[in-house]
Amino acid sequence: MLKVSNLHAGYGGSEVLHSLSLQVGDGEAVVVLAPNGHGKTTLLRAISGIIHPTAGRVEFDGQVVSGKRASEIVAAGIIHIPQGDLPFPEMTVMENLLMGAYRPEAWAERKQRLEQVVELFPVLGERTNQLARSLSGGERRMLALGRGLMAKAKILMIDEPSLGLAPFLIENVYQAIREINKNGMAVLLADENADHVEGLADRVYLLESGTVVKEGNVADMLRDEALLAAYLG
Amino acid sequence: MKELFQAIYGGILYGSIYGLMAIGLTLIWGSLRMLNLAHGSLYLVGGYVAWTALNQWELPALPSFLLGVIAAGLMGLIIQVLLINRILGRSEFFTAAMIATLGASIVIDSGALLIYGARVKQMPPAFEGQFKFSGVVITYQGLLIVAVAVISFVLLGLFLRRSRHGLSIQAVSQQMDAARLMGIPTVTTFMIVMAISGALAGLAGVLLSSVFYLAPTAGFNPMVKALVVTIFGGLGSVKGTIWAAYAIGLLEAFLQVYFGSGAALPGLFLFMIIMLVIRPTGLFGLGEEQRL
Repeated sequence: MLKVSNLHAGYGGSEVLHSLSLQVGDGEAVVVLAPNGHGKTTLLRAISGIIHPTAGRVEFDGQVVSGKRASEIVAAGIIHIPQGDLPFPEMTVMENLLMGAYRPEAWAERKQRLEQVVELFPVLGERTNQLARSLSGGERRMLALGRGLMAKAKILMIDEPSLGLAPFLIENVYQAIREINKNGMAVLLADENADHVEGLADRVYLLESGTVVKEGNVADMLRDEALLAAYLG
Repeated sequence: MKELFQAIYGGILYGSIYGLMAIGLTLIWGSLRMLNLAHGSLYLVGGYVAWTALNQWELPALPSFLLGVIAAGLMGLIIQVLLINRILGRSEFFTAAMIATLGASIVIDSGALLIYGARVKQMPPAFEGQFKFSGVVITYQGLLIVAVAVISFVLLGLFLRRSRHGLSIQAVSQQMDAARLMGIPTVTTFMIVMAISGALAGLAGVLLSSVFYLAPTAGFNPMVKALVVTIFGGLGSVKGTIWAAYAIGLLEAFLQVYFGSGAALPGLFLFMIIMLVIRPTGLFGLGEEQRL
């Protein structure tokens, strides 16, 4: 489904990703694990077209999407939920969710999709007319996930879902991601924390200095404490 | 009592005019973080095209006015496509956009001078006649301007709040990266904003050409007033701009009625300075960030 091959990307003259390759299959959940500053966010930004790769390619459903505009990549079925959630602060929860369904195909089904999102995140249903800027950190994360689900995407790429959340909220967020994946949507998670990925992801890629240094099955990797200590501290 | 009614009527009329002009500027600032110095020239395009359709092509009033509005919207779109789209994302975008729109404004104003000459023109009012209310003369054209402005504000509000493209304009204004990640094509959104903004400036030009004279430099004053309103309301805030338009319109009219016409402009700027010292982001401004 998603195939990243020898990807190079960065900002200005400074390269962050060096020949990075990974794959996500249909309905699969994959985690990219790395400490801060090793290229997780850059990887997601390069896949979603916010920055353009300098070399290598990204294919999705057999079609090359690297170098295309962000709107075309969304149209192909890739949704990126960025670090910090980036809600539209002066728009209501409802308007934020509707913007998730911007593409005409998703817009036509917005009512059904709203029902599904509210079923998964009931708190959003209670806050439909509230401005996004007034939401708590946990509610904002739910809104970002819900907005991503509105898009009728095939894969959800989520950057640091636990960042800045109180511990009791983190489990709720990962539970919601598990539900999303169980419903058939592929998930590519960028995380620096290995604690929550067991039972969620099928495979893990360990990243160091912008390249994959290890990949494998989640259970095997998480059992290897020496490896985790070496790469994640 | 007559003075009070005179000031209120004048204030509402001025506020409607300023609002029509200023909303376009604020929409552009909100989405592109760009000061469109060609906005006054789009006002001219609306006025001159409607005047030409009415007086030279002898079309009826309504189609003539519509042509003026459409022409100004198209001119806004042309400026966006030919000039602004080419400099999007450049490091000095703000300055480059100001120079580009100033250039467009010089071209349009000079074009108007070449085609229509320097002699002033006036559009006949859409509705002739007037009546007196508590001693105040109220023209039907004045009422039309107020009604069209209010209807335009309501329709624009509905468009921004209810429609897919309207919501996307707000989304791009508030968080451009997130908007791109939702699949919103930002360049297309900018083009929609520029066309709407131009059409609103053109509408102001069509309506006001029967109140003020039409001349190649006639767009400058409305643009300066619109700029004042936009800054006072809080750059990028549509709600703030409408409030500010009527507040400034009423203040100007009250100063004119009670202290004479000479006091209006200095009084207005003094008020602006005090307001901006107290509240630098304007009535509804939210602070700014570099966007493009």
